[in-house]
Amino acid sequence: MYAFGAVGVPYNRCVVEPDIQETIMKAIFVQRTGEPEVMELTEVPLPQLKPSAALVKVTVAGVNSIDAQFRDGRLRTPLPFIPGQEGAGVVTAAGAQAKTAKVGDRVAWSGAFGSYAEFVASPEEHLVPVPQSISDEQAAAAMVHGLTAHYLVNDARKLKAGETVLVHAAAGGVGLLLVQMAHASGARVIGTVSSEEKGRLAREAGADEVIVFTRQDFEAEVKRLTDGKGVEVVYDGVGKATFEKNLNSMRTRGMLVIYGMSSGPVLPVDPAKLSEKGSLYMARTTLAHFTATRDELLARTSALFAMIAEGKLKLRIAKTYPLAEAAQAHRDLEGRKMTGKFLLIP
Amino acid sequence: MELVELPVPQPKANEAVVKLAASGVNFIDVYFREGRYKSPLPLILGQEGAGIVTTVGAEVKSVKAGDRVAWSGLQGAYAEYAAVAADRLVPIPQGVSDQQAAAAMLQGMTAQYLLYDAHPLKQGQTALIHAAAGGVGLLLVQMAHNIGARVIATVSTEEKAKMAQDAGADEIILYTQADFEAETKRLLVGKGVDVVYDSVGKTTFEKGLNVLRPRGMMVLFGGSSGAVPPFDPIVLTQKGSLFLTRPSLGNYIATREELVARSSAVFSMITAGKLKLRIQHTYPLSEAQRAHRDLEGRKTTGKLLLIP
Repeated sequence: MYAFGAVGVPYNRCVVEPDIQETIMKAIFVQRTGEPEVMELTEVPLPQLKPSAALVKVTVAGVNSIDAQFRDGRLRTPLPFIPGQEGAGVVTAAGAQAKTAKVGDRVAWSGAFGSYAEFVASPEEHLVPVPQSISDEQAAAAMVHGLTAHYLVNDARKLKAGETVLVHAAAGGVGLLLVQMAHASGARVIGTVSSEEKGRLAREAGADEVIVFTRQDFEAEVKRLTDGKGVEVVYDGVGKATFEKNLNSMRTRGMLVIYGMSSGPVLPVDPAKLSEKGSLYMARTTLAHFTATRDELLARTSALFAMIAEGKLKLRIAKTYPLAEAAQAHRDLEGRKMTGKFLLIP
Repeated sequence: MELVELPVPQPKANEAVVKLAASGVNFIDVYFREGRYKSPLPLILGQEGAGIVTTVGAEVKSVKAGDRVAWSGLQGAYAEYAAVAADRLVPIPQGVSDQQAAAAMLQGMTAQYLLYDAHPLKQGQTALIHAAAGGVGLLLVQMAHNIGARVIATVSTEEKAKMAQDAGADEIILYTQADFEAETKRLLVGKGVDVVYDSVGKTTFEKGLNVLRPRGMMVLFGGSSGAVPPFDPIVLTQKGSLFLTRPSLGNYIATREELVARSSAVFSMITAGKLKLRIQHTYPLSEAQRAHRDLEGRKTTGKLLLIP
């Protein structure tokens, strides 16, 4: 399989932990890839607890576009598996060699596979403490989308005041956070959305201009809005559908940062095009490389939680579903209804 | 290429006529001569020159008769006189000769923009530089060394290894004898380089991605071994969320302001003795054919100049 270290949690054995009462749990189980219906609420054994891992009771799980890509097989992981990689909860058991995780800790995570479940096991270094000022819902909602927006705007391509940035899916989960952070940095924000209603949300979040791409050609609009020059930066989680036009929408020496591929993977790129279209830069990034050390993960998460607690970053929880309705959450996600975060409650 | 007699050009309103003291020979001249790059015929080749302004067009304010100037990127330098857009002419300071200016414009500004803007190289970072004994390569190595970066250079022969070493490279890899990917990883004890400056292209690109540290940058600025074919961008993610740029000089000297700043920066390095140019040979203008044969024979290791 080819995803940057991302693995579903395969299920084939029962593990009995003497000091845990439950040995089975409810989880969303995927036995074959395909449409949302392949996600079924099932009783499965608790996950294995490795020596430096912790077992966490999931309070809230976050839904991400990437979950759908594993579910439908676009991204590969061994079957059967429990989807989901994000959530917030409480540590209920710590492995024999665990150093930082303690029973009772309130934690959140962005990379613990198997999160659509009552319990998830995670290497302890991927679990971050959740401050009192942040609720479980906020923590689960903030991790993947918030850390993604944070690394894009601060590290992948740091925005300077006065620059113009194009944010696709500006009313989506990452989009709304990106728009807020980009706006806060003093950049002029152009957001693309699929409806007027989403345009309204993007503007509320701080977008200066909104392009409803289902009605307008975003490339032509961006050129019009920038006196023909193009934008300095594009943050794109869409992938295939927007790539060519993104290259045409940037000014000389601009940068395209592709952080996701909700429309599918970008087709092979001829580097000469980057030169022809103005000595452009491109990056194809993933969150794991921007939270690779515990230090970086903690620094980024602390900054994010602080913004939320101080009211500087508004999280929009679009909808909360019982864990049993994960399939509906994915149907809504694919129906472009995710204006903010979807959460699952086990 | 034939030496002929032509009328001295008259400047258009925005041009100045320069009496050439020296012009630089570049591979791009070969491509235009062969027709690989198209241009209307008849054609005066040569894109790099230095000399004295003789006459200026009515609208020209940036230069005047008597000024010592240089340019690159505009055709017509294989001649005694050339009419050049005046806003593309940069002043040559005292301390830089006409020949040095003609030799330094294209390759010098290329190395300068790569290291200071395409990916600003910082002290303490590690850079992998391919074709380190080539025209741009030797300047990249010197400038990177002056910046205080650690330089890993790849070259094809022992002789070139010596040149790269003299220029300041910290580690030299003879890629004809060793796999530069394995060697770089060994030298860095498993860590990656911060940036790769790659003018070779096809034969080096993928391995270059493999030696970059996570979030490092590939600066692909040429293709002497061939163009890099289209690649799946997911590879950039798999190899560490890497950054890629494929720059060209023109986009880094688009305004007169930037052109003058960049050329001045290069000339300052020369007057300060921090940048040594390798002028291999000067030929009379009438021997342009020999200059091209020597260049195409790939035996030259320094800059070739034509003197009218």
